Amino acid sequence: MEKVIMGNHAVAYGVQLARAQVIAAYPITPQTQVVEMLSELCADGRLKATFIKVESEHSVMAATVGASMAGARAFTATSSHGLALMHEVLHWAAGGRLPIVMANINRALGPGWNVWTEQTDSLAQRDTGWLQFYCETNQEVLDTVIQAYRIAETVLLPVMIVLDAFVLSHTEEPVNIPDQEAVDGFLPPYEPRYKLQPGDPHAFYGLVAPEHFMELRFKMQRDMERAVGVSQQVGADFGRAFGRAYDVLEKYRMDGAELVLLTSGSIVGTSRVVVDELRAEGHKVGLLKMRMFRPFPFDAVRAALCGAKKVAVIDRNISFGHGGIWASEVKAALYGSTCQPVIYPFIIGLGGRDVTPQSVRGIFQHTLEHDAPTEQILWMEVKR
Amino acid sequence: MPQSYTITFKSEAEMPDITMSLGTTLYNKTGTWRYMRPLYRDKTSPCNAACPAGEDIVDYLRMVTHGDLDQAQQRILAENPLIGVCGRVCPHPCESECNRAKLGGAIAIHVMERFVAGLPGRRVLPLADKVAPPGAQVAVIGSGPSGLSCAYQLARRGYRVTVFEGLPVAGGMLRVGIPSYRLPRDVLDAEIAAIQDLGVEIRTGMRLGDNLAFDDLRQFGAVFLAVGQHRSRKLNVPGEAADGVLPGLDFLRRVNMQERVAIGARVAVVGGGNTAMDAARCALRLGARQVLVLYRRSRHEMPAIDEEIEEAEHEGVKIEYLTAPVEILATAGKVTGLRCVRMNLSDPDASGRRRPVPVQGSEYTLAVDTVIPALGQEADLAFLDAGIRAADGLIAIDRAAATSLPRVFAGGDAATGAGTVAYAIGSGKRAALAIDRYLRGLDTQDLPPLGEHVRVAARDVDSEIVTFEQINTAYFQEEPRTLQPQRPAAERVRDFREVNQGFSEGEAMGEARRCFSCGTCNHCDTCWLYCPDVCVQRCDPASPRPPGPSRSAYEFNYDYCKGCGVCAEECPREAIVMEEELKWKR
Repeated sequence: MEKVIMGNHAVAYGVQLARAQVIAAYPITPQTQVVEMLSELCADGRLKATFIKVESEHSVMAATVGASMAGARAFTATSSHGLALMHEVLHWAAGGRLPIVMANINRALGPGWNVWTEQTDSLAQRDTGWLQFYCETNQEVLDTVIQAYRIAETVLLPVMIVLDAFVLSHTEEPVNIPDQEAVDGFLPPYEPRYKLQPGDPHAFYGLVAPEHFMELRFKMQRDMERAVGVSQQVGADFGRAFGRAYDVLEKYRMDGAELVLLTSGSIVGTSRVVVDELRAEGHKVGLLKMRMFRPFPFDAVRAALCGAKKVAVIDRNISFGHGGIWASEVKAALYGSTCQPVIYPFIIGLGGRDVTPQSVRGIFQHTLEHDAPTEQILWMEVKR
Repeated sequence: MPQSYTITFKSEAEMPDITMSLGTTLYNKTGTWRYMRPLYRDKTSPCNAACPAGEDIVDYLRMVTHGDLDQAQQRILAENPLIGVCGRVCPHPCESECNRAKLGGAIAIHVMERFVAGLPGRRVLPLADKVAPPGAQVAVIGSGPSGLSCAYQLARRGYRVTVFEGLPVAGGMLRVGIPSYRLPRDVLDAEIAAIQDLGVEIRTGMRLGDNLAFDDLRQFGAVFLAVGQHRSRKLNVPGEAADGVLPGLDFLRRVNMQERVAIGARVAVVGGGNTAMDAARCALRLGARQVLVLYRRSRHEMPAIDEEIEEAEHEGVKIEYLTAPVEILATAGKVTGLRCVRMNLSDPDASGRRRPVPVQGSEYTLAVDTVIPALGQEADLAFLDAGIRAADGLIAIDRAAATSLPRVFAGGDAATGAGTVAYAIGSGKRAALAIDRYLRGLDTQDLPPLGEHVRVAARDVDSEIVTFEQINTAYFQEEPRTLQPQRPAAERVRDFREVNQGFSEGEAMGEARRCFSCGTCNHCDTCWLYCPDVCVQRCDPASPRPPGPSRSAYEFNYDYCKGCGVCAEECPREAIVMEEELKWKR
């Protein structure tokens, strides 16, 4: 069924189709409609789930962890300061090996107070053990929610689905909403390997001495690494079931591209238009859409960028004292590789400043005209 | 049960993905860590403590919220056979004590009682164990609330009871004191009929000391005197014998017996109690143009039920405070006026109310043609056998309602002077329990002392009365008290049909749900939800309850309860206590 819906409702439809059983959430702009629609679905019985109102995001994640431990398919959504408040329990969810799925609507952290899009909130949680997927369209948002549960329940790690505030969350796009039957075929009910049962009590998450702790972390990292291949497999299976295949990244017009634009989220859509124009003008330019951030798909990135001379990384985020986060990850991925394109680390669009086709064209132009980046960070459109 | 053991894994491959114990943790009886133990222990609600009729209000309201309406009715009827009456005319001391008063207004308990009383279908009163010795007979003198209550409690235990009533109709003050706009006669008739259905015989027109003598009662194993207080106190001012002076109780009796009563256009009622209010409102209904109530103290000291005062004022009764009559003026033997004096309040007297003193030189005259003194009532004890001691105008009784004459018991207004239906019902119940013990040769002195209320179906609860501060108000919203509809004042003064209209089922359910259920577990599941150790277990309703003071639907698994106290802390209604473990180890 085709519907014109906003990104936040695409999240909610995905959760409904995935038959989540427990939803704990606390509203925050720009996530609120996700929670509103889910609470309505729960209230009128269209979604047979327990909706838990909680007093803060820290408790939201705690409740979600509890639900998942009890064997329920659990979901939540948040943004920015809410995600920051969850931080401690994000570790708990991952270390507890709980296949929780969460949507995070990218929003800048204050102060200055700001409700618009920026990736720093989610990227700052990169070391918590959560998988992260960044979405370009509302269709991808819905599809990724469904895939996320299958991935999470396979590798027993939680998954964060990330979408831009307002540009996706509040903007309506045509979205194909799959049939419940088809989703049920793709995503079977969750069969927890371990769960809390009052009748058969075990001690969970107790003290682990140094002689065993490292092994637990070793296993977690190994499953993280496994998650790349699992996600590729699930994305391909999704394509067979629904006609829309996904990979951990997407190469767009990369054939013979000497200059590659690399970006994520909704800037990808803008960049597609610019790349088409530049190709028409005769430039050898391509686009690499990054979908998966954690685990970082090293091999796929290396393979995709081999052959490019210049790579312009467009970051809508900042790690203070370092730079754009995707740029540093890409540089790290290419370290020791035989292919060594020049990396141009652009930062643009913080706090929701619009990134227009002209902005992307400016990035292309700067990269084209310089043999090497002129600064540690290439700030775009900063009034200085 | 497996014992604790240590595993050292040789490689990560042997380990589970998460940190969890491979074996069950049931061996670990964490209850041994406990030094405080939670216990379900119901306590006394303020309403129950205040009810002179001994009703278990909090329990029947709980039954209403669970939709068990018939069960709720039977629950009250075990204590009081006149719930349709009490639901209308009781001054509801329960509501004065209600903890809900501080969060939206007291529960409208009397309207709830009326609702439960009014369930459709013919009333069937609950029987009790048939403990009466074979052939045991009891005589009850007086068919007012005290006599009926006593007769009911005896009859349901298998006694043969005969009630002797001096008037031609049964009901005592309920019949001849309370007007039908407060208590419709069909309600009273039905409740008396239900008592008669248990085999109680009521013989009207039989007045002790008149056409009935103590000697005539020899066949009865016990006699219960419940003759009430039917004589109006006098004003004791000059002119009281004039035509147009109608003593309050005489006036009400004649009105209630549907006699023709001549009433003037301008009526003065003297007094501040319910009889004064009843007389004033009856006078209006009989066509008086102007009805003035004179009370010698202020509104604050006025003993009448607040609602009665408000309803009277809505109907047009005027009340003048701090004034007292000094003389009734008459011309040719007919009342023409009332000479009054203004009063001031001085220090409190023995009753705790401030004593009124006349203001010198403040006398004034009211032009009236009818004066109704309603200064209270007293018992006519002229009929008493010489062996029955009286004191201060009341028949003297002990805690077993026994008079100074063997086998003769007394209760109700004639023995207590309490003046309310609920108190009379409690008093009659006390006498019934005492008579039952007396006739079975048991100790009668193990009844609660006079002043404490008597229950026949008491739950095992702590005597501690729950205060508002003990209620966990996080669980309750401020919600207004539900008001019962009333007929408009202008319409109701034209007839004697009932003023108050009672609750619909929806209103009653809503009002019952406002109840805090102070000290009484109502199975809200809060403890069950909160227990972090999964130690609160729901009891199978069919299984026998654990021993102890609680009637709870839950029990604790003390093997694992660590005594954290979250259940007791969260309990919205103070039905869980924490006690030191040492007490239980001994």
